Amino acid sequence: MSTLTVEGLGLRYGGVRAVHDVAFSVAAGEAVGIIGANGAGKTSTLKAIMGLAPRTAAVLRYGERDLNRTPAHQVVRAGIGYVPEGRHVFPGLSVENNLLLGAYTRSWRRISFDQVYGLFPVLAEMRHRLAGALSGGQQQMLAIGRALMSQPRLILLDEPSMGLSPKLVEDILAVLKRLNEDGTAILLVEQNAKLTFEVTTRSLVMENGEIAMTGTSQALRGDPKVRRIYLGL
Amino acid sequence: MQVFLQTLVGGIGFGAVYALVAMGFSIVYRTMGLVNFAHGSVVMIGAYTASTFSMAGRLPFPLAIAVAIVVTGLVGLIIERVLRPLEGRDFDLMLIGTIGFGTVLEALAILIWGATGHAVPSPVAAAPVDILGIRIRTYSLVVIVVAAAATVLLALFLQRTKRGVAMQAAAMDPQAATAVGIHVGRSNAIAFAIGAGLAALAGGLIGPMLYVSPTMGGSLGIKGFAAAIIGGFGNIPGAILGGLAFGILDSFAAGTFQGYSELVVFVVFAVAIMIRPTGIFGERTVNRA
Repeated sequence: MSTLTVEGLGLRYGGVRAVHDVAFSVAAGEAVGIIGANGAGKTSTLKAIMGLAPRTAAVLRYGERDLNRTPAHQVVRAGIGYVPEGRHVFPGLSVENNLLLGAYTRSWRRISFDQVYGLFPVLAEMRHRLAGALSGGQQQMLAIGRALMSQPRLILLDEPSMGLSPKLVEDILAVLKRLNEDGTAILLVEQNAKLTFEVTTRSLVMENGEIAMTGTSQALRGDPKVRRIYLGL
Repeated sequence: MQVFLQTLVGGIGFGAVYALVAMGFSIVYRTMGLVNFAHGSVVMIGAYTASTFSMAGRLPFPLAIAVAIVVTGLVGLIIERVLRPLEGRDFDLMLIGTIGFGTVLEALAILIWGATGHAVPSPVAAAPVDILGIRIRTYSLVVIVVAAAATVLLALFLQRTKRGVAMQAAAMDPQAATAVGIHVGRSNAIAFAIGAGLAALAGGLIGPMLYVSPTMGGSLGIKGFAAAIIGGFGNIPGAILGGLAFGILDSFAAGTFQGYSELVVFVVFAVAIMIRPTGIFGERTVNRA
């Protein structure tokens, strides 16, 4: 069973410090949330873990795998799936090809779409459509489905609720809960704190690139300080 | 009527070669967003390699072209490897780097083959074939068939193979492609090698139609580039259509305007691009996400 361990994580864009000295861990099968206002460093934290941005870290490992020494395109092979902010599906390719690319690290010979089509039946209907022609909600489902195709044991999600209708947010929420119940660990980054608290057992609150608070989602839900950090009062 | 059809087929023959050059430009552009200004020179190296191996090396013509494809493919890999550290950092320097490589390749060609160039005999019987009363150069038909076959192969590779689909993904969204496990640098290298291979095929095929010289890359490169632009840059069907349009226009202009034909062709090109700046298949509407 693998634990994601992060210690002393830092990331800069040019001279700007986006993330500084962040430490946390996600145990196997656990669901952890990172909440915070715009520009708090949540997205940068995920990108740093995935190796998609130049970062420094004292410890960055997933189970046996030292992510500090893992090139970005190998991170998925460690068992980590990534749903980027703003979906980032491959617009000019069909839904099915997008899903196949999610399984890029596996053999395509005996690939099954059953799990993804089971979670998101609409994707099965749209499988020959170009991903760029889907609605925002469908693209979000496709982005999650694509990440699942690698059969990850840990999935990093960046703002999956962004720009979706309340109904769709509910659907996504249900899927995330189901995945977690089936044993997939989740690291969920959100501005939508309410959604985060419903899915996760533990959460971090980020502010100005650092972790301002940590606690169980239950406790943070009622904490007035969380509101203060959020609204910047 | 007969003259018209003969001019048309001749134009399609040249157009097929321009299409190959344009496809080389396009495949590198759509994967890396980079215009490879060394492409014309790679065509020239391909033409020299193919003609040298078939004339001096006495290899059969198809085999000589295969050798040329391998040689220029390696050249493409070298260019990509040298430019890779600049990828995503300094785009202007990458462009200038490709211009530099073009100059280097031209100088290399002069060192190896001399500055004067040579003529290449046609690899097939010179007698034209008679189809429904129209006399067509046999070699034009060969060129059209080979170019069409290469195009079909490339399309199958991009649409049906795992590597091809991954290359398209890397072109559309390098970060998302990296996150699903695609080595984007390797994908770019393959695009460069395929582009160079297409250049060699174009160069090898056009050798017997033109005179092979160190400066031939300039005009072929410009025409292929223009063909890619008119088709919608980065779009493969567009490159084919643009190449054919250019070849046909070229051959009719040559018959009517003789010495001014190049001028006429490029004026038409400039007007077309002013009317439709995205080219025939401008992809702007597809990339919605």
